[in-house]
Amino acid sequence: MKISSTHGLANQLLIYTLILIGGGGSLGLSAVWMRHQISLTANATKVLEARIADVERRVSETTTAIETESDPNVLLQRNAEWHLGLVPPGQAQIVHIGEDPVRRLAAKRNRALLGETGGVVAVAFPLALQR
Amino acid sequence: MSKGFASNYRIVLLAVGIVGCFGALGARLVFLHVIDRDELVRVIDKARRQIIVESARRGDILDARGNILATSRSLIVLGVDPQSLRPGDEKKWPQLAELLGMPLSDLARVFYTKTRAPAAAAPKPDAAPLFTFNPSGAAKPATPDDDDTEFDDTPNENGERPIRWAKLSENVAESTYAKIQALDLKGVYGARVYRRAYPHNSLAAHIIGYVNKAGEPAVGLERYADFYLHGRDGWREGERDGKGREVAQFRTREVPAADGYSVMLSIDSTVQHIIEAELEAIAQKYQPEKATIIVSDPRTGFILALANYPTFDLNDYNKVPKDEQGAMRNIAVADMYEPGSCFKIVAASGALNENLVTPSTIFDCSFDRIDYKGKSRSLAREDHHFADPQHVPLTQVLSYSSNRGAAQLAMLLGDERFYDYARAFGFGQLTGFPVGGEIDGSMAPPSKWDGLTITRMPMGHSIAATPLQMQMAMGVIASGGFLLRPQLIREIRDASGELVYRYDTVVKHRVISEQTARTMARLLTGVASNEGTAPEAAIPNYEVAGKTGTTQKIINGRYSEHHHVASFIGFFPASRPRIAISVIVDDADAHALNGVAYGAKIAAPSFKHIGEQLIQYLDIKPVYAAAGATNLVMGGVRP
Repeated sequence: MKISSTHGLANQLLIYTLILIGGGGSLGLSAVWMRHQISLTANATKVLEARIADVERRVSETTTAIETESDPNVLLQRNAEWHLGLVPPGQAQIVHIGEDPVRRLAAKRNRALLGETGGVVAVAFPLALQR
Repeated sequence: MSKGFASNYRIVLLAVGIVGCFGALGARLVFLHVIDRDELVRVIDKARRQIIVESARRGDILDARGNILATSRSLIVLGVDPQSLRPGDEKKWPQLAELLGMPLSDLARVFYTKTRAPAAAAPKPDAAPLFTFNPSGAAKPATPDDDDTEFDDTPNENGERPIRWAKLSENVAESTYAKIQALDLKGVYGARVYRRAYPHNSLAAHIIGYVNKAGEPAVGLERYADFYLHGRDGWREGERDGKGREVAQFRTREVPAADGYSVMLSIDSTVQHIIEAELEAIAQKYQPEKATIIVSDPRTGFILALANYPTFDLNDYNKVPKDEQGAMRNIAVADMYEPGSCFKIVAASGALNENLVTPSTIFDCSFDRIDYKGKSRSLAREDHHFADPQHVPLTQVLSYSSNRGAAQLAMLLGDERFYDYARAFGFGQLTGFPVGGEIDGSMAPPSKWDGLTITRMPMGHSIAATPLQMQMAMGVIASGGFLLRPQLIREIRDASGELVYRYDTVVKHRVISEQTARTMARLLTGVASNEGTAPEAAIPNYEVAGKTGTTQKIINGRYSEHHHVASFIGFFPASRPRIAISVIVDDADAHALNGVAYGAKIAAPSFKHIGEQLIQYLDIKPVYAAAGATNLVMGGVRP
């Protein structure tokens, strides 16, 4: 198309202007949409932060309450109130173990499982005998 | 060629219109962004910019097993704007009063008090609050304190200032506040504040200290370890909307808060409870003026428990009456006393360490005067009646606490050497204990001694020490000859629980040889035996080594016969020490048997009682084979 005509030039300018306006508008709308999304995300983050802070505050409150209830004086009071009759063990009830308690308990368990022979029992291996 | 789809006139008009609009827009933008920019930015900044400070959470103080001794928790300071109350909400007031745990009449009084008369002017009859009806019949409307109310700046037509906020409670828990919010009472709202909470109330009060209402660490570890505990506040810069709410997407700069570190102590709350219960029992039985018990690990110098009587509740520190403020003193380090016979360990250790004596060395304790440096010096009388006072071996000097024997030991050492040993044991100087306002006691150098000092100081007179100094001095023998620094902090941990720093044993210096320490430990087991002054402290199969002390107090400048400080300081098992305990009871004479508070009668039984509980709790094994045999016979079966 030749652009020697004034009308043609004006039409082209008008079209370009409209395209520019349309394009600019689209870009503007995109920017607005994007900012809206940023706003939504930021607000969602803020809500989550507030929620986390709230949960942390409640955890802290609960921890403090648990610790207060674990206080030896409170436990003694509960023992008396609920008539539990719990008392510390006497010296005669304490058995001091010099060896490793894990090994000792394991040996005790083994004795219970395998009998008082200390595990020396007759064991048959039929498959081995067949060979 | 096309002519186009519009006439020339219309096109020009449209183009001019569009260009004109853009031109106007551009001109306005130039005005806004260039010409008026500074003024507009200033207004906007003032109206919309804000910096929000994000408070860092103060770190916790934990005991040796991770139990929380001090923590931070948020509380709500709840108040009401009486001008905003809705009449329809009145039926919810009883629920609010119940949630707050306050009488409905008190609550109504705050709600009905809508104005406050000018302070200077006398209240006029017509200057009554807008709502004067009082359903509870309370005669007088409340007049909240200045700190608890906020007023409008401009008075109303009666010259009164409308109340805009009146405090209802300053300790509303988060869960309670959620229930209050659910009531939907208009005008009732709160401000969130972080307050320090001490879940165990008075447990280890003198060690932990407290943070005051203004958030400043006042005393104790709260103050000493504030560098670790306080954290660093964060902040963020952003904008707020017309209602003052933060517009999250316009945050520009953000510095996150760094929570404080947690401080883990060597204090064990169970051991602490054991000694505080013992102090309570002592207080009930003897009603002393004050008392102190200290438990430490003599191998490391770490303090496992330290308690004083009287004490106070950390959560109510501000409610301690002025005349009872002494209860807040950590007397274990801030008060001094004459250690009495417990101090005899210094002269005996020094003489043994210098090879001047052996355990079998005999002392003549029959005479009441002795020549020293060419002068005759009087000796203190003996508290124990020796069958053969002319032949008292060193073992009995300690086990029967001979004053004259101790004096002769010091004389063998000489003024300077005895003084040097006393200094080496830590007397007359700070132990380095971090909290409680420690004092260094009182011990004059030999140049300031009078003629009697060399006979009196070895028996613990003419010298003043803190209970902790005495504990650490006994620790020298238990640790094999080293003077250790008493320590409270084991570890520093960050907010996520990761280890930041671990404190280790600090050896100040060697005082006596290991052999001397071992000999002294063996000699001191004689004290807690049937042949010693304190069989009451003996724990079967556990080789208790220790020393009693019964010191006359100085009343009106003279040693009193009716006021004593009773003490027992010792450790066990003597051959491989695990625990050192000091029990010091001040002025328990009024309720003591025969009116004299002897260390053996007042302090030694407590030592034993504490020791027996610690044996179980800390799994301290007996040293004698006989004990093992007994248990073997039992075969591990509980009777």
